[in-house]
Amino acid sequence: MSIKKLSVKTLTLLVGASLAVGSLGGLSPAQAVVDCKNAKEDGNGCTVVSFAYFGDVLNMQLVNDYRKIHPEIKISEIKSPDLDTLNGQNLRTQCAAGGVGNPDIAAIEVSYSGYWRSYPQCFVDLATMRTTVGNKSATTIKKDYLAWRWDHGVAHNGKIIGIPTDVGGLEVAYRHDLFKIVGMPYKRDDVAKAWNTWDKFITFGKEYAQKSKLAKYKSAFTKAKSSPKGFMDNVGTIFAAYLNQGTEKYYKASNGLDGTLVYKTNPAIRKAFDLTLKADSNGIGTRIGQYSSDWNVGMQNGTFAVILSPAWMLDYIKAQAPDTEGKWDIATMPGGGGNQGGSQLSIPAGAKHKQEAWDFITWYLAPAQQLKMFEYTGGIFPSTKALYTNQALVGKPDPFFNNAYTGKIYADGIKNLKPIYEGKQQRCIDQEFGNALSLVINKKQKDVNKAYSGALTTIARKCK
Amino acid sequence: MTQPAVSAKRKPASPWKPPKPPKKLNNANAVLSLNGKWGYLFIAPFFFMFLLFGLAPIIYSIYIAFFNWDPLGTQDFIGLENFQLLMEDPDFWLAMSNTFEIWLLSTIPMLLMSIGLATILHRQYLKGSTFWRTILLVPNITSVLAVAIVFGQLFGRDFGMINIVIGSLGFPHIDFIEDSFASHVAIATMIVWRWAGYNALIFLAAMLAIPGELYESASLDGASKFKQFIYVTLPGLRNTITFVLIVGTIGGLQVFAEPLFLGSSFSGGDAGQFKTLTLYLFDRAFVGGQWGYAAAIGIMITVVVIFVSIINFFLTKRISSDSK
Repeated sequence: MSIKKLSVKTLTLLVGASLAVGSLGGLSPAQAVVDCKNAKEDGNGCTVVSFAYFGDVLNMQLVNDYRKIHPEIKISEIKSPDLDTLNGQNLRTQCAAGGVGNPDIAAIEVSYSGYWRSYPQCFVDLATMRTTVGNKSATTIKKDYLAWRWDHGVAHNGKIIGIPTDVGGLEVAYRHDLFKIVGMPYKRDDVAKAWNTWDKFITFGKEYAQKSKLAKYKSAFTKAKSSPKGFMDNVGTIFAAYLNQGTEKYYKASNGLDGTLVYKTNPAIRKAFDLTLKADSNGIGTRIGQYSSDWNVGMQNGTFAVILSPAWMLDYIKAQAPDTEGKWDIATMPGGGGNQGGSQLSIPAGAKHKQEAWDFITWYLAPAQQLKMFEYTGGIFPSTKALYTNQALVGKPDPFFNNAYTGKIYADGIKNLKPIYEGKQQRCIDQEFGNALSLVINKKQKDVNKAYSGALTTIARKCK
Repeated sequence: MTQPAVSAKRKPASPWKPPKPPKKLNNANAVLSLNGKWGYLFIAPFFFMFLLFGLAPIIYSIYIAFFNWDPLGTQDFIGLENFQLLMEDPDFWLAMSNTFEIWLLSTIPMLLMSIGLATILHRQYLKGSTFWRTILLVPNITSVLAVAIVFGQLFGRDFGMINIVIGSLGFPHIDFIEDSFASHVAIATMIVWRWAGYNALIFLAAMLAIPGELYESASLDGASKFKQFIYVTLPGLRNTITFVLIVGTIGGLQVFAEPLFLGSSFSGGDAGQFKTLTLYLFDRAFVGGQWGYAAAIGIMITVVVIFVSIINFFLTKRISSDSK
């Protein structure tokens, strides 16, 4: 017994000693400079700031840039599979539990911004924060951002809960080579002129869809490695695109409150609904769902020639269809540009490193970094308006998109936009109208009026 | 869907070894004497965890089912209104019928396949049997997300592998997402793929428990392999089949991940064509923020599971008394 005990003790001592020697031996002058690249938790001069996001809100190249100026800060990424998981589920449960498990920084998508503006208690009021260097607060940086994007992050009680990241913007990405095959306008200015209204867009699409099926073009399409099935990927995207060009969607602003629901009476909604169905009945869509595997393949195969594309989708197209480089182009959307998506960064109330989080947010979303974000990703579009005249943004052709000045096209569209009030149940209502459209498009409900009134009933029941 | 690994408790372990004579009576006595004092301490961790993560949430969710419960806003007591609304909610009944259809479409093929696989594994001359047994579990431990991505490639409407084959045979493509029945088949396929191997192992264990003498005497009587299977193997599996059915029912009524990934949203398709009960619960809780309503759905799922389990229980009782 005693021998056994002794040996264990000796062993412990030996191990301890060797560990000590090992760590002493490891000490070198290089360690004087902190490198927190692999830090998992606070300590050793490192601070770990957790950043919860979805999609491509967090750019790793920019994180690397930040590490160079702040080696003591480790930005630790928590990527959600989708935005509902983060914005709908995690943040909500965390806030209900009093902020337990909150990340230090959370990305919130525009479609959820209306919801969270009703619950400012879940976030830090960014107007109370000051940066360590420069004493910047939310109120002093406000002037840099597009006013209507800024408002997405202002709670109904006036608290500032989020700083805008990017602006979606919305224009049309199209295959100019395929347009050329069927002898239709293919230069971006001609194309934009040919479909400057939605009705013309549908006519244009119908013509393309019909011509692309003609036998005489078959060999040309095969040569372009394309097998066309329709004009645009999914007509369902027209609904939101058209609505976002207006001034009002489902809510009307009412001072200091959650907003008044107007979805029952707003004529624009029914108009968008009918426009979408008109596009469908003219056979211009392929009915392929976005982000499905069919969509990814179709982008490459010329299954469709047109996608209504927010700026952040440009990167996705490049990644999914690398072989089509130079065959795509960007034209102004019918009605002159639109908007879809965009996010904001917030500091949840339960964050542990509020100061470091604020320092990072103000750096990450400053004009200089937003410009870099655009350059790194070739698409994610800045929400800081001063950049819209910057040559690095608007004066740069993108070879993937046939040397289109993507920055300029999106900037022009964004300048045209009017602010729309985003209310609490925005996303829920969006989804129900989308489902109703889908019902008609997939012939599960033949009566358009019934589908529409059905959506209104469901919204009244579910979106509250 | 989860199937608790109850198999260990259920059947006599490793009966293919020669039965040991009962000898360790002393040990049993020692354990019995411990029961009085220390037993409770040993089982305490389980009960503590169960109270904390099992019972407490159940009681809490029963409580909030009577409220209009906005997790971040106000919570108002509304009595039975949630249940009343639920009874009139077409989505709830749609989810109910979808769930049962998917359950039916998945359980029966799974049962047949599991028994078939187990029969193959049971063959004496099978080479590398350990390898095959292990590999059967691979689908079960693969992440559901990965499964869904792979099946997404299979079931795609335009470029999915299944539809490419169907198309090349000259048939119209099947839309596995828009078409209600086809989407149920797609989900059932994922479930079968995931659980058939797991259940096959349970059946295999049961088959190994059937005494070899029965097969010997059957073959002496001139019974073919097929007749041996019908008259020796199947009756021996009767209890296991009921077990797999009951566990499969509980899991099947909670099918969640497969429909979620098929439509990549909580709505279960634009017409709710593959909305299941748990998907609807989750949708109301985390998309709609109506926790009280979601809790009411949860309680209704429990009621349904209990109801189906009672039916199962009586069926089992009847079958086992028939076999006597």
